[in-house]
Amino acid sequence: ARGKREKNSPQTKVVARRLPPTMTEEEFLEAVSPLAEYDYFSFVPADKSLGAHAFSRAYINFKNTDDVFTFRDRFDSYVFVDKKGNEYPAMVEYAPFQKIPKRAGNKKKDIR
Amino acid sequence: PDSGPETTKKERPPMHQYIRKLLYDDLCKSNTEKILRQMRKMHWEDPLVASYIVKCLTAIWNAKFYNIRCIANLVAGLISHHDWVGPAVVDGILEDIRIGLEVNHPKFNQRRVAAVKYLGELYNYRVIESSIIFKVLYLFISFGVVFDPSSYSEYDPPEHLFRLRLVCTLLETCGQFFSSGSSKRRLDCYLCYFQHYYQYKRSLSIWSEEQEFPWQIEHLVRDTIAAVRPKLQMYNNLEEAQKAVTHLNNQIVAKAIEQVPSLRQFLQPD
Repeated sequence: ARGKREKNSPQTKVVARRLPPTMTEEEFLEAVSPLAEYDYFSFVPADKSLGAHAFSRAYINFKNTDDVFTFRDRFDSYVFVDKKGNEYPAMVEYAPFQKIPKRAGNKKKDIR
Repeated sequence: PDSGPETTKKERPPMHQYIRKLLYDDLCKSNTEKILRQMRKMHWEDPLVASYIVKCLTAIWNAKFYNIRCIANLVAGLISHHDWVGPAVVDGILEDIRIGLEVNHPKFNQRRVAAVKYLGELYNYRVIESSIIFKVLYLFISFGVVFDPSSYSEYDPPEHLFRLRLVCTLLETCGQFFSSGSSKRRLDCYLCYFQHYYQYKRSLSIWSEEQEFPWQIEHLVRDTIAAVRPKLQMYNNLEEAQKAVTHLNNQIVAKAIEQVPSLRQFLQPD
């Protein structure tokens, strides 16, 4: 049956939402540094088509479940400030989709 | 519509125009294989091209509604060559569904229906598992929902019936596959909670003789449930639904305690 594997393993993929829309990947990594050991990281810039509701977000898959809670305690509701001084309280949650690519960071070339 | 977003014409680089043309204009049921080959030929090694493709595959509301299924099919095909595309697209769609609940502005309604339809199709093409579908189904009947007529939720105001439409869209898209095994049981449970939400909505005092609960929504809910569970006898009112939910909750608690006896102190104190 589908879904067996995912159900039994603890959740380790976390999403940090509602980050400043102008934030870059480098700025985020700097702000959360030092980051505990992870095997997947993905930063998604804000989707401008949402207008005033556009936010950046980041996905991190931690190697140890303890680090999930440490990161949550540190950054859930943490207020990120953009260059203009606007405040963005972040939300840190389990990513609803826990799957990560098998070869994270090591993308196989498509022989097309 | 007076001035849509089309009035501000965006000048896109030729590569972006080409990707959009393939995905939003050309793609249809009969040429999915061919378009998949074209998409595979893109310069995936260029992070800017790759992220633009993922962005377009996520922004499903740009596609024609009846072609959403083809894009889900295309994504399933791309994953065998670029497996990271799956999580990237699914994460993006789930976020769009979530932010839609938070913002809850009618101007995004079309977009939200498209995103939900896409999620269902991604299940049909086995990009995601049923657990994700159920997470979202429960999100629709719980996020910011307060089953108390005396309190007001800005996320789900009394006259707001759009959540019902979203649930129906998702069930119409992939509910017919929850017909055996654990996913059948999960849908049966869900329909109990969903009917409770529906009956709660109907019971609110804003509906009266003058302003009746919209029959279109009533039909939509009835037709959707009938399509996935033709023999199901629907609850007639809030009391019946409430009774069924209480009964189901008790069953679930009893089962949990049976499996993990130490839970009793938390689930059945005294």
